[in-house]
Parts: sequence; structure tokens; C-alpha cells
Amino acid sequence: MASNKKKLSLGREGSLGVILVFCVAVTGFINPRFVTGDGTRDLLSATAIVALLAIGIAPVMIMRHIDLSIASTVGLSGWVVADFCAKNPSFTWVHCFIIGGIVGIAIGVLNGLLVAGLRLPSLVVTLGTLYIVRGAVYVISNSVDYNAQEMPPSLLKLGGTAYFGLLPFPFLLALILMVVVAWVMKYTKAGRDCYAIGSNPPAADLVGLKVFRRTFIAYIYCGFIAGIAGVFYLMRFAQIDSTAFYGQELAVVAAAVIGGIGLLGGAGTAVGVVIGALLVQTIQGALAALGVDAFWKAAINGALLIVAIYADRVLARRSEKALLAQRIKERV
Amino acid sequence: MSFVNSFKVRKSWDTAILALLFSVWVLASMTTDNFLSSINVSQIFSNSSEILIMGFAMIFLIIAGEIDLSIASILALSSAMLGYSYAQGAPIWVAILVAVAVGSACGFVNGFLVTKLGLGSLAVTIGALALYRGIANGILGENTINEFPEAATDFGFSTIGNTFIPQTLPVIIVFGLFFAFLLHNTPFGRRTLAIGQSPEAARFAGVNVVRHKIIIFTFTGFMSGVAGVIYTFRFSTAQADNGVGLELLVISACLLGGVSIFGGVGTMWGLVAGVMLASSVESWLTLREINAQWRTIVTGILLLISVAAPVLVDKAKRRKAAASNKG
Amino acid sequence: MANKGDLLLEMKDVKKRFGGAIALRGTTLSVRAGEIHALLGENGAGKSTMLKILAGVHEHDGGEITLGGTQFIAGSPQASIDQGIAVIYQEPSLFLDLSLAENVFIGRQPKKGIAIDWKEAQSQAAKLFKELGVELDPKRQARGLSIADQQVVEIAKALSMNANIILMDEPTAALSASEVERLMTVMRSLRAANKAVIFVSHRLDEVFAISDHITVMRDGATVSEKPISKTDLQTVIKEMVGRELTELFPKTEHKIGEVVLEVSDLTNPAYFRNVSFNVRKGEIVALAGLVGSGRSEIARSIFGIDSYDSGAVKINNKPLKKNSPIAAMAEKIALVPEDRRQQGLFMVAGVNRNISMESFSRLTGRFFINFKKERALTEEWRENLSIKYADQSDPVDRLSGGNQQKTVLAKWLATDPDLLIVDEPTRGIDVGTKSEVHRLIDKAAGEGKAVLMISSELPEVLGMADRIIVMREGRQVTELSRKEATQENVIAAATTGKKGI
Repeated sequence: MASNKKKLSLGREGSLGVILVFCVAVTGFINPRFVTGDGTRDLLSATAIVALLAIGIAPVMIMRHIDLSIASTVGLSGWVVADFCAKNPSFTWVHCFIIGGIVGIAIGVLNGLLVAGLRLPSLVVTLGTLYIVRGAVYVISNSVDYNAQEMPPSLLKLGGTAYFGLLPFPFLLALILMVVVAWVMKYTKAGRDCYAIGSNPPAADLVGLKVFRRTFIAYIYCGFIAGIAGVFYLMRFAQIDSTAFYGQELAVVAAAVIGGIGLLGGAGTAVGVVIGALLVQTIQGALAALGVDAFWKAAINGALLIVAIYADRVLARRSEKALLAQRIKERV
Repeated sequence: MSFVNSFKVRKSWDTAILALLFSVWVLASMTTDNFLSSINVSQIFSNSSEILIMGFAMIFLIIAGEIDLSIASILALSSAMLGYSYAQGAPIWVAILVAVAVGSACGFVNGFLVTKLGLGSLAVTIGALALYRGIANGILGENTINEFPEAATDFGFSTIGNTFIPQTLPVIIVFGLFFAFLLHNTPFGRRTLAIGQSPEAARFAGVNVVRHKIIIFTFTGFMSGVAGVIYTFRFSTAQADNGVGLELLVISACLLGGVSIFGGVGTMWGLVAGVMLASSVESWLTLREINAQWRTIVTGILLLISVAAPVLVDKAKRRKAAASNKG
Repeated sequence: MANKGDLLLEMKDVKKRFGGAIALRGTTLSVRAGEIHALLGENGAGKSTMLKILAGVHEHDGGEITLGGTQFIAGSPQASIDQGIAVIYQEPSLFLDLSLAENVFIGRQPKKGIAIDWKEAQSQAAKLFKELGVELDPKRQARGLSIADQQVVEIAKALSMNANIILMDEPTAALSASEVERLMTVMRSLRAANKAVIFVSHRLDEVFAISDHITVMRDGATVSEKPISKTDLQTVIKEMVGRELTELFPKTEHKIGEVVLEVSDLTNPAYFRNVSFNVRKGEIVALAGLVGSGRSEIARSIFGIDSYDSGAVKINNKPLKKNSPIAAMAEKIALVPEDRRQQGLFMVAGVNRNISMESFSRLTGRFFINFKKERALTEEWRENLSIKYADQSDPVDRLSGGNQQKTVLAKWLATDPDLLIVDEPTRGIDVGTKSEVHRLIDKAAGEGKAVLMISSELPEVLGMADRIIVMREGRQVTELSRKEATQENVIAAATTGKKGI
């Protein structure tokens, strides 16, 4: 018998790829600008933040948890970095990444302590920290916005760099991270433990996996990535205010779920979520290119998420049915 | 009576909330000039209108072990439909009916997705949250509609006669009594609690779990629609971002009021106490002229406390029990 | 590596209590390398508690446990694993999303440099599967594997951890005959490798086919420990039961009336096929057989919890709608389910709320529950069944198992059913309450109710039933009248599928 799992996940990533190509082709046919170098570069740099965050949230979701506070963390990190840079004109992009990373880690530690330490339901906890972190942005920003002139030129230059005229720097960074995370998740004990914990939490305790440590670290990592994504936000928009990236956690969760991370944990890959992020962005871009009003964007995100969850459920049901059929066969 | 009964079970929690509520009132009236002034009290009630209205239904969902994160989006969509259909020339009462019907339909869709298709309510209603507000966004765009009949807006922000009782309060009380009786004094309420305590045992007790949950989801949608109408009239505005984030206030009020996030436990009294606590704190902050943005933080902290406190209390109890066992 | 005959595990006078309930009151057990040691006993005899102590799930309160001469470190699953003890549960808990190789080596994956060496893991797993005589693809996902194959994966995991004591908790309960055969091959190969295998089973034919040693437990204590050559089926049964059948059951003769329940050709291919029987007024019919023979599933299908593919259920000569507990309740069917904690009761709710759950129609005025009537109803059934509690609103999880079971019975008897289905009515309750429950069931039959009883306890079946239908692997083997039925022919039918000895 061939490897069941491989077939499924190849199918997942493969079919996502097909849908992606199909969307691009149709949109390109109707609106040729969509498939030019400029169009592609736009699409990729628009995808970079969501792709990065989806790679960040992947281990957390694989462990059957969630982190809804990431979008608020992006806002906080972005604003804090901009604030530091405005007050220290000598700062370069290196400072930005360090500061952003530290802010993210701090939030990750908070989430990790509550979820892994107290074993509270992650959804409610991160819903709470979503509000606390966003509130913190409101309070410390005091309605101050920052624009391009207050940001380090080296950061903006980096954000504008595109390799081969196609590959923007942020997206390239996301791709590199994707490769690293994919490797870690496949070839290290820590990575495999994530899958095991999400697949069957009580059994993970029984076989003595370090559930607390893995969960805690996954949240810190996720927070760290969200902090870095705040810097990405500055690179892309060269501007920030207290509502930056508001409500976008859903787009990230949608990308992850569409990319093959089951909400019941235990499955999914970094490569999958990047394709998922690309697909979400492509559909958004395609609808815009086809003249659909931008106001419908949130509705489309929501609908996509529901469809993805449903698809996930259908797949799970299919394997349940196969199991039942097998049982019946054995009984005869 | 069952009120007394359920009170007994959750005595320590309810006492704690009431004590907390009382101390907030004492502290607030000591540190501000007019916290207990009739106008401010009236304001506290008025500001909690939508939270209470949605909470009355949401408590059933949480008790049954489900959740609906899309209620604030349903509120916005109903509000948008109300404004849109009125602006298109529909009579106001037709517009109200449309708003409430749309709300109920949204709730039904959520219930259908959760029960018939077997999708997790958390995940699905996160999607629905984006979907419904997105539709409101699509319908209204950046427009706001703020032309409504005087009678309607009067209902929203006037008081009864010369008193300081908001006109919305009687409506809230009627709904509150209805749902309190439904939860505590009818077979329907008992079955809701039963589903939350053990869905499997409920099935063995002949409860049609799927139908029951769809009904709860639908009337949660209905109540969110009602909240949308009240919100629209209170602020005399229909726009797509009405009530953003209210779902969290409703959930944290439920949890603060002793409703278990794992289902099966909760009282209407607790919910009302939880709402009063949250809005009193908010009013206090406002009167102290503390930056309004702190409210968001306070909401988040209240939510964390309400979910962490039972766990911490339980842990402390167990540690104490273990210590006394050894001693 | 242990040599054949080395003493690997010795338990002396081990005691364990849970709150007020005594689970073990002095158990002894000694197991040697290269031996398959069967652990027998009725439900509640303390076998599971003993396994859980060895697995590190529970810690014993008294007595001594030694492993090859050294003190056993109790109370942690990890410590048990480190001491070479592996437990195979009836329902294995694999990581269904992961590959078989990974399930075998989770947490201990072989490495090459800093990376996991998947090739090595797969070839090692393949080798282990081969040693066990089962060809499984180590690369395939665990999801979709049969229970039998999942057990093999668990055993391979135990071997890879160098476990030398392997505990199996009713491993054959969910297996088909050919799967059992294969598991026995695996067990023999473990014995050949000088492992000690401790094997809990209710299927006595299997026990006698494979074990070297048999330990019988009753009421938390060891009754006998003998090599297989020094005992036989009759002796073991007598030791397990330990009392004369006639002592316990106050079964009285009732007038048997017309047919209440008529089941014909009921089939749900995953669980049971072509089941036909009837139950009359005033009659107690027992469905006997091993756990997993499809008895509970039949009860669930009649009551409408599950659906069925073909066949029909008639109640009082009217066809009953399938898959609708509400329809079943409307036709006055009551089901006291096998798992009272999960299925029968709302554990955090009060006694009164549990008892009134099925009887709202009698308690409501027009819309509201009348709390006075609810109190009276609870009081009435407390008296009828002598349920012991301090206050009506006490949550039922504070009650003893026996009082909990009486509460479930009360809530269904309060509906005054025509057909009462009881599934394992006395599982896990003390002897005194057992005979009370039997008295209540007998009384219900005396009042003209039809009773369908499912039980794994043979003495209960023989003592209570007017007729016994024996099931095996989803099929009806035979039907015996009260006069015909003996321990031997029921056991024989249930375990071998043959109608007589």
C-alpha cells in the first residue's frame, strides 16, 4: 500500500498549485497587467507579510492551538520600531529587525505562559491578548503616526529591492524562512513533537513528550515572527498608525487553513501555507483586477476560510468512511 | 427555585463577582464626583444595551459548548441592512424587520455550518465574523446613513418622561426576563445545560442536539439583529464598522459572570453581574478621564482574568487538598 | 537480556484505594521471563487498577513491587517506560497523522548528524514488524489502520524501547478471529524472545489456548495463581465467580404476556447482522456475549442512537422510526446505557435534575418546570430505589457508583416504560447494590414491563433471564431458555460460536 499521507498532502499542495495557476491564468487573460513583471512583483510583496505570518503560526496550529494576537503584534512591533527610528535617526534596518523581534518575543512569552503554563484554551487567551496588545498600541501611540521620512532609508531601500526584477526582498526572506521551518518540522525532534502533540494531545503526555516546552517555544517563535512581520509592514507601506494591520489575523488563519493546516492539528507544512497565502492574495488581487469593489475584501476572506474549513472536514470524513468500510470488510 | 439552586452551586464565584462589582462602585463613587449620579447610572445601562441583548442569547450558546464570534458582525450587517433599506425608501418598521430577519438568517447559517456540516464553531464563526462584516462593508462601503425617523432615534437615546430610565431599558428587561425563564425554568433551558454538560448523555436522554443547537444559533442571530437595531438608533448611524469587537465584550461578560467556557454551567444573574462589572469599570475610567484607549486593554485583561481565574482557583484548591491529605 | 524463567516482576500484597472505594486489597503476582501470564477476573476485580499501577498512571498505597529484584519506581508513565514496562491498551493511542515508523520511534528518532534519519527509522521499524510476523509499510500513515494493526505498532514500539514486561489490557476484545490468531502469533514470538507478557482477557478459550500461567482476581485480591497445567475452565470460572449462583438473584416468576419488542433481520454491517428476536411483557431477555460482540450496538439501534442498514424494529406491533431517540421515547422505550458517566448521567448536575430529565412533560405547567413537582418526583424515586444522597441538588458525581446507577434507573423508571433496556446494569458497583439493582429489574418485569438486558457477567445473565440470546462477532449464535442455559454452554457459544459442548 502506498503512503497514504504522502498522497494526501501531495494532493493538497498539488491541487492548491493547480488552483493558483488557474486563477492567475484566468485573471491574466481578462486583465493582462496582472501577469506582467510589475503585477507579479506587486502580488509577491503583498503576499510577503501574510506568508511570513502563516509560517509563524504554522507550528502553533499544528499543535492544535491558535494565536489570534499576531495582527496586533504586527501593529505594536511596527509602531514601536518606527518610534525608535524616529527618535534615533542613526538606526538602520538591522536595529529595526532586532527591536521588532524583541517586541514579538515579549508577546509570545505572555501567550506561551498562559497557554502552555496554565493550559488555558488558546483561543480565548489569544483573543484577550489580541485586545491587550492592540490597546497597548492605541495607548502608547497616542494617535501619533509615522511616515517615510521618519524611517531609516536603509530599511525602505531594502523593502524596495527586488531580485531578478521579480522577487521582492521580504518575499525572498519569507521563502528562506519557509525552507528552514520546513526542514526543522521534518527533520528534528522538536518539529516532529509538534505534529505528535497536535495529533493526539493525551497520547503526547503519555509517551512523555515535553508538551510544555514545545508549546511555549512555539508561541515565542510565533510572536517573534509577528514582530518581524511588523518590520515587513514598515518596508511595504512606509507608514504606520495605531490601526495598522487591524483584523488581519483572520487572513493569516485563512491562508494557513487553505494551505493544509488542519484546525485539529497534526498536519500541514510550511510549503503548503506559503502556497495558501499566495492563493488568498491572488484571489484578492484577481477580484480587484476584475473590478470587484475593494470593500468586499473582508467578506471574501471570511468565505474563503469557511470553504477551507469545510474542505478540510470533507477530507477527514472521507478517511473516516474508508476506515468504516475496512471494518465492515474485516467483519465479513 | 432554580435561581436559588444554581446560585448555590456557583456561590463562591457569584459572591466574588458581586463583591467586586460593589467595590468598583464604592471606589468609583469615592474617586469621582458623579459616578452614582442618576445620569451616569442611566448611561451605564444605556451603554450596555447591546452587550446585554446579545449576551442573553450568547449565554445559551456558551452553555451548550459552542460559541459565536460573529455576533458583532451580525449586528453591523443588520445595522447596514436597516440603514440601507430605510435609505431605499422602505418604511422604518419594514427596515427593522429586514434587519432582524437578516440577523436571524446569519445565525441560522452559523448553526447550519456548525451542526449539519460538523465544523468547529470557533473556526467557522471567525470566518463568519469576516464574512458578515465584509458584506456590510460591501453594501455600505464608506457611506454612513444617519437619517432616521425621530421616533426611532428618540427610542435610542431618550429617557422615559422626566426620569433617567433609558427608553431601551424596558425592552432589555423584557428580553432578559424571557431568556432567564427560558434558561432556568423550562425544559429547553435544561436541555441546553444538559448538552453542555455531556452532549453524548443528552443524546441518550432524547435531546435532538442538532436541532437544539440550530435554534440557539438562530436566536443568537436574531438577538444580534435586535442589538443592531438598537445600536443604529442609539448612535443614529448605520455604518459597516458598527460594534467592532463587541463579541469579545459579550464573551468576557459571560465568562466573568461564571459561565464556563467549557459549557454546561452558567446563570443569567451571573451574566448581568458580569456586564454590570465591565461597564461600571468602563464608566469609571471615562469619568476619571483616562484615555479611552485603555478600554481595549481592560477588555482584554478582563477576558484573561475570567478564563484564568477558575483554573487558578481550582489549582489552589487542589494544592490545599493535597497538602491537607499529607498532613 | 533476561533468561527464560528469571523472575521479572513480583507484586506482594499491593493495595490501592480511591477515596472511600478499595480497588486492591492485597494483590500478589509474579511473572517470569518467557512466559505468557493471563490475568482473569470479573469486571471490577481490580485488574485494570493493577495494570495502571504498573503503567505508572496510579501509585499504590501499600505493598511491594519489585522488578528483577530492584524496587519499582511508581507514579510516572515515563518511569515505567524507563523500567522496561510497556502497556498495550485495548484502544491504542497512536498519533494518527504520523507514519508508522514515526509512531514506533516518537521521541526517540534515530539521528544522522543533527537531522532525523528517516531511512534508518523506517528500516528499523520494518525489521520490528517483520520480527512480529506482520507486514506493515512503515511509511504509511497510522490513520486508517485497523485496531489489530495499531496494536502491532504499539508492540513494535514496546520492543524498540527494550521493554521486557509487556502488559496487554483486553487486546482481543475488538479483534476478529483471524486478527486474534495473528496476535497470538505475535505473543508467542514475544515469549520466544524471553519477554514477560501479562495478558488480560475475558475470552477464556483464548486464555487457555495461549497462557502458561493464570492468575485469578476477585474483589481486589488474588484468588489463585497456577500454571495452566494445574487448572481448567471450570475451576477458573468458579474462582472468578466465587459464590453459588443462587445466593444472589431474587428472580421471581412472572406472567409473560404479549410481544412488546420485535426485532427482525436487523443489520448494521459494521457491528451486527441479521439479528431477530422478541421480548414479551413481563419477560427478561438477556443478550449475552463478549464485549465487542455487537450487543450494545443493537440496543443503541433499537433506541435510535445509531441507525441501521436493514431490518425492522416493531414496538407493541407498530413499526418504530429508526435513528430517533425521541420516537423511541414516545413509544415508551427506556435505555439505561452501558457507560453511566458518559451516557447515562450529567455528572455535574444535581440528582433532581438528572431524575427529572426524561419526565418534563409531567413537571411542566404550561411552559415552566414546576420545581415543587420536581422535588416530589425526586423524593418519590429516592424512596422507591433507596438512593442515598445528602441533598437533592448534590451533583451526582459525589454519589457512589451504586447510587449513580440507581439514579439512572430512577430517571428511566420514572417514565414508566413498556420496554426497559439495561446495558451492563451492575458494572462497577458493589455486591450489595448489585442485588438491589437485580431486585429492581425483576420488579419492573413483575409490573409487566418487557426487559432487555445486556450483561457480560454470566452469573447475572443466568440468574435473571427468562431467555438468553448469545451473540458472537455480530451474529446470533443461539437462543437458550432459562432451563437449558448453563455457564458452560453460554461461554462455549459466546467464545467459539458453537451451539453446544
